[in-house]
Amino acid sequence: MKQELMLSLLLILVALPLFSALLSQLISEKYRWLNPLLSGLILLITTILAASLVSTHWNQPELLWQIKWFELGAHTMTAGFYINNTTLVMMLVVSFISLMVHLFSNGYMAGDPFEKGYYTMLGFFTFCMLGLVLADNLLLLFVFWELVGFSSYTLIGHWREKLAAAKAASKAFIINRIADVGFIAAIMILYSQTSSLSLTEVTAVTDTFWRNAAGICLLIGVMGKSAQFPFFNWLPSAMEGPTPVSALIHAATMVVAGIFLLIRMFPLFTVEVLDIMVIVGCTTALLGSLAALQQFDIKKILAYSTISQLGLMVAAVGTGAYGVALLHLFTHAFFKAGLFLGAGAIIHALHRAQHAAHVHFDVQDIRHLGGLKKVLPITALCFIICSAALSGFPLFSGFQSKDAILVSLFEWSGNSWRLIFAWSVVISSATTIVYSMRMVWFIFFATPQKTTQLTVSEVPFLLRLPLIVLSVCSLWFVVSFHPLEYNGWLMEGIVPAKHNLFITWLSMILVPSVSIMAWWWFRKRTLQPVNHILQNGFYLDHLNDLILKKPGLIVASKTEKIDKRWIDGSLHALAYTQVTMAHLLAWFDTWIVDGTVNGIAWMARQTGALARSFSGGKIQSYIFWSVITLIIFLFWILF
Amino acid sequence: MHAYLLSLLLLIPLVGALLMLATPNVHRSLFRWIALGVSALQLIALVLILSHYNTSQAGLQLSELRPWITLDMGIWGILQSNYFLAVDGLSLPLVALSVIIITIAIISSWKIEKSPKGYFTLLLILNAAVIGTFCAQDFLLFYLFFEFMLLPMFFLIGIWGGARREYASIKFFLYTLLGSIFILIVMIALYLSTQSTGDAELVIHSFSFIDMQQSSHIISNAVLDPQNNVTILGISARVWAFMLLFIGFGIKLPMVPLHTWLPDAHVEAPTPISVLLAALLLKIGGYGLLRIAYPIFPDIALQLSWLVALFGVIAIIYGALAAMASKDLKRLIAYSSVSHMGFVLLGLASVTPEGVAGAAYQMISHGFISAMLFLLVGVLYDRTHDRMIQNYSGLSSKMPVYFSFTLLAFFASLGLPGLSGFMAELMVFLGAFKSGSTNYLLHESFAIIATLGLVLGAAYYLWTLQRMFFGQYHVKINLDNQLTDVDFREKLMLFPLAIFIIVLGIFPQLLLDYLNPFADAFTNTVIEGGKTIKVLLQK
Repeated sequence: MKQELMLSLLLILVALPLFSALLSQLISEKYRWLNPLLSGLILLITTILAASLVSTHWNQPELLWQIKWFELGAHTMTAGFYINNTTLVMMLVVSFISLMVHLFSNGYMAGDPFEKGYYTMLGFFTFCMLGLVLADNLLLLFVFWELVGFSSYTLIGHWREKLAAAKAASKAFIINRIADVGFIAAIMILYSQTSSLSLTEVTAVTDTFWRNAAGICLLIGVMGKSAQFPFFNWLPSAMEGPTPVSALIHAATMVVAGIFLLIRMFPLFTVEVLDIMVIVGCTTALLGSLAALQQFDIKKILAYSTISQLGLMVAAVGTGAYGVALLHLFTHAFFKAGLFLGAGAIIHALHRAQHAAHVHFDVQDIRHLGGLKKVLPITALCFIICSAALSGFPLFSGFQSKDAILVSLFEWSGNSWRLIFAWSVVISSATTIVYSMRMVWFIFFATPQKTTQLTVSEVPFLLRLPLIVLSVCSLWFVVSFHPLEYNGWLMEGIVPAKHNLFITWLSMILVPSVSIMAWWWFRKRTLQPVNHILQNGFYLDHLNDLILKKPGLIVASKTEKIDKRWIDGSLHALAYTQVTMAHLLAWFDTWIVDGTVNGIAWMARQTGALARSFSGGKIQSYIFWSVITLIIFLFWILF
Repeated sequence: MHAYLLSLLLLIPLVGALLMLATPNVHRSLFRWIALGVSALQLIALVLILSHYNTSQAGLQLSELRPWITLDMGIWGILQSNYFLAVDGLSLPLVALSVIIITIAIISSWKIEKSPKGYFTLLLILNAAVIGTFCAQDFLLFYLFFEFMLLPMFFLIGIWGGARREYASIKFFLYTLLGSIFILIVMIALYLSTQSTGDAELVIHSFSFIDMQQSSHIISNAVLDPQNNVTILGISARVWAFMLLFIGFGIKLPMVPLHTWLPDAHVEAPTPISVLLAALLLKIGGYGLLRIAYPIFPDIALQLSWLVALFGVIAIIYGALAAMASKDLKRLIAYSSVSHMGFVLLGLASVTPEGVAGAAYQMISHGFISAMLFLLVGVLYDRTHDRMIQNYSGLSSKMPVYFSFTLLAFFASLGLPGLSGFMAELMVFLGAFKSGSTNYLLHESFAIIATLGLVLGAAYYLWTLQRMFFGQYHVKINLDNQLTDVDFREKLMLFPLAIFIIVLGIFPQLLLDYLNPFADAFTNTVIEGGKTIKVLLQK
C-alpha cells in the first residue's frame, strides 16, 4: 500500500473514535437513542479499517511517520506513528474489543441517565488507546497513557451517586499516579541521556547505571498500569464501574498497555531488569490466582484473574520472549472480554428478573447463584468456552499462549534458582483452572440458591452477539490452525518461539486432570469463606491506608498546623512585639520626651514667676528679700 | 505607529480610569461597561502588538526609549532614568495573559453592588500597573509600577473583601511592603554600581536592566563590583543583593515560608480579585527573578541555584500537603498555587533552556488554570455563600455543566497530560533533571522529589471531587437548596479559559515560539555572565 494512503487511513482510524465521542456530546437529549447506534456504527468502521490495515501491512517493513510537535531547547519533539507488527496487533485488538463493548453497551446501558457521558468517554478512551499504541515517542505515549487513566477514572465513577464508585475511581487514578512517577523518572533519565524521546532512539543509552535505572523506573510505571504486585489493589475495586467498561478497560486493553510498553521498549532492558520483571510477574501471577480462589463476586474473581494473567505476560517479557507475551495479550483480550461480557449478561438478566419479581439480592455474588445453565443456555455456553480458554484447555487459544509462556519460562530458568519462578507459574496455572471451575460450577451447575425466586430469561440478541463472537475468537484457530502449535501468523510476524514437547504434553495431561479433580471437589461443597488474607487481596488496601493515606493525612494536617501556628504565629508575635514597641515608644514620647520638654517649660515658667515676684510692687516682699539678702551677705562676710 | 503600542496599552486603562472618575455616580451599571470597553480596546491593542512582534528574533522588541529623569549630582555623577518600555519572549506572553485575565475578571465583577465606581477605577489602575511592570525595562520605572500595584490591591481586598478583610489586606500589604523594601535596597545599590557609558571621568549612572546585566558597565570599586569584594557581616555584598532580591520576589511568588499572606488574601478577596491575584500578581515574583535577579547576578545565581531549587521543591511538597489539609475550597486552591509556583523556582534554578521555558510556561499556564479554579469557587460561593468542602456532596447530579468545568480545571491543575499544566511541569522536570548532567547546578534528586508533587496534587484534587461532587446530592441544611447550574455569563468567562488550557496543552509550540528564544538567551546570559565574572575575579 502506498505510504500516503496508509497514513491518511491511520489518521482516520484514530480520529473516528474521537469523532464518535464528540458526536455523543452534540446529539441532543431528544435523539438520545441515536447515541449508541451511531457510536457502534463508527466503531464498526474503525474495526474494518483496522482489519484492512493489518491485512495489507502485516509483515511490511517498519513505518515511522513524524511531524514536529514542539521544540525544547535545542531538540525537537515529534508526534507521529511508529508502525510495526506489534502495533498492528494492538490496533486490531483495541478496535475490535471496543466494537464488541459498544455493541454490548447498546443493550446493557439502555436507559442510563448518563448515557451521553458514557458514550463520550468510551469513544475518547478508544481514541486514546489507539493513540497510545501508535505513538512514535515516549512523551506522546505517556500523554495517552495518562489519558486512558483519566477515561478509566470517569468510567469507573460513571454512576456518580455511588460513593463506592467514586472512591474506587480515585484509588485507581492515584495508585496509577504513584507508579507513573516511575514513568516520568524514566522519561527524564532517557531525555537527559539521549536528548530524545523517540522510541527508536531512546534505547541507545550507553551508561549502564542510567540504563538500569531507566528500565526499573519504566517497569514501575508498568506495574501500576498493568496492576502488578504491589500496585494491583486498584483493579478489583475498579469493578465498581459498569461491566462493559471492565471488559474493555480493565481486562482487554488499558491494563495491557503496560505489557505493550514493555514490548515496545524491549531493547532498553538489561538482563538484570528482565530478571526483576520475571520475579514481579511470577509473584503477581501467583498472588492474583490465589486471591481469585477466594472471591465471591463474579467480577472480583475475573479481576484477580486478570491480574494473574497480566503477571504471566510481564514474566514472559522478562524471559525475553516478548512475542509470547504479545500472543497471550492477544488471546487473553478475547476470552477475558468474553468472560466479563458474560458476567455482564448474567447480571443484566438477573437484574431484569429481580425487577419483575421485586426481590433484591446481590446478583454478582456467586453464593446466591446456581443452576443458570438451564435458563441462560447461550450465555452459559459462551462463558464456559471462555473459561476453558482461560484455564488453558487444549483446542482453545489460551492453551497455545500459556504453553508458549511455560516453555519460555523453562527455557529462561535452565537449572538454576530461577526454576522456582518457573514452577510458581505452573502452580498459578493450576490455580487458574481451579478458580475457573469453581466459578463455572457455582454459577451454572450448582443447586440454585436465591435465584429460585426469579424467572430468568435469556438476554436479548444484542447482548448475545458480542458474547458469541468473542467465544468463537477464543478457539484455537485465532492463533494457528494446528491446535498445539503457537507459532502461527502472529508469532511468525513478531518472533517465533522455541518448542518443548515435554512441557506441551505435560500441560495437556495436567489441565484436564486438574479440572476433573476440581470438579469432583466442588461438586459436593458449598461456598464458605476460608482465608481472609486471600479474600481481601492480601490486605493491600489496608496496607495502602496504613502506609500512604494515614501518614499522608497526618503530615498534611501537621503542615497546616505549622502554617497556622509557627509561620503565622511568629508573624503575629512579630506584629505584637512591634505594636508593643510602638506603645512603649508612645509612652516614652509622652512621658520622657514630652515630659522633659514640658518640665523645662515648667521650670522656665516657675523661674519667671519667681523673678517676677521680686518686682511685684509689694512692700512686704521687698523688705523680706532685702532681709534675706542682708543675712546671706553677712554670713558670707563673717565666715 | 508600532513604536507607541506599548504606551497605548498602558494609557487605555489610565484614560478609562480618569473617564470613570469624571462620570457622575447616577448610572451604576455604566462603570462596568466602561471597564469592559477599556478591556475590549486593550484586546485590540494586544492583537496589534502580537502582529508586530517577530518571534524568530530574540531580545527586546517594540522598544520605546525616552529620557525621563536626568539629574546632575556633581561628584555623584549624573542620575539618569528612562521611560523604557519593551517586550521580549517572556514579557509579551505575560502581557497577553494580563489583558485576557483582566477582561475575564471584569466580566466576573458584573454583579458588584458596593460602589462600583471606586471598584472599577481601582481595577483599571491595577490593570495599568500590572502591564507596566511586565513592560518596563528600567529598574526605577519597574519599581514604580511594582509599588503601584499594592495600593489598588490593598483597597480592593480591604473594602470589597469578606469577613476578615482588614486582617487579610493589612497582612498582604505588610508582607509585600517588606519585599519591596528589600528590592529598593538592591535597586539603590545597583544604581550606584552601574554606569550607562564606560567613561572614566564622567560617570553617568543608569537604571537600565540592559546596563545592569553587563559586567563591563559595573563601576569599579562600587558596592556591587565583584572585584571590589565588599563584605557585610562576612558575606559578599553581591550575595546579599541576590538574597534580598530572592526574598523580595519570593514573597510575591509566594515561596514557603513567606507565603502565609496568600491563603488569607485569597479567602477574603472577592472572586475577581482572587483571580487577578493568582493569575497575575504571583507571576511578578517569577518574572522578577527571571528578569532581574538571575541575569544581573549570574555569578551568585549559579552559586546559589541549589538553594533556589530547594525552596522550589519545598514549596511544591509543602503547598500540596497544606492543600490536602484545607477544609475551605478557596484555601485549598490558594495552597495549590503555592505548590505550582514551586515549579517556577525549580525550573529557573536549573538554568537550562528546558527548565527556563518550563518555568515561564508554568507561569502562563497557571495563570489560566488558577483563574478558572477561582472563578469556579466563585460560582458556588455566589449561590450559597459557603465554601466549606464538607457542606457539599453529590453536586455533579445537580450541576452537570459546573461539574464538567470543575473536572477539567482540577485535572488541569493536577497535571493531566493534554492540558497546559502538564506541559509546563514536564519541561521543568526535564530541565531540572538534565541540569545534573549538563551544567551540574542541581542534583537529579531535586527533580525526582518534585515529582511527588504530582501524586499529592492528584490526591487532594480527587479527594475533593469525591467529597463534593460524587455520592448522593446533599448540602448543609441552612444553605440554599436551589443550586442552579452555571448561567450564560459564567460560561462566557469559563469557556475561553478552558479553551486556552486545552490548546496550550496540545500545541505547546504556540507559546514556545515566544518562550524558546527567551529561554535560550536567558541561559546564555546567565552562564556566560557567570563565566565572565569568574574570569574577572581570577585576574
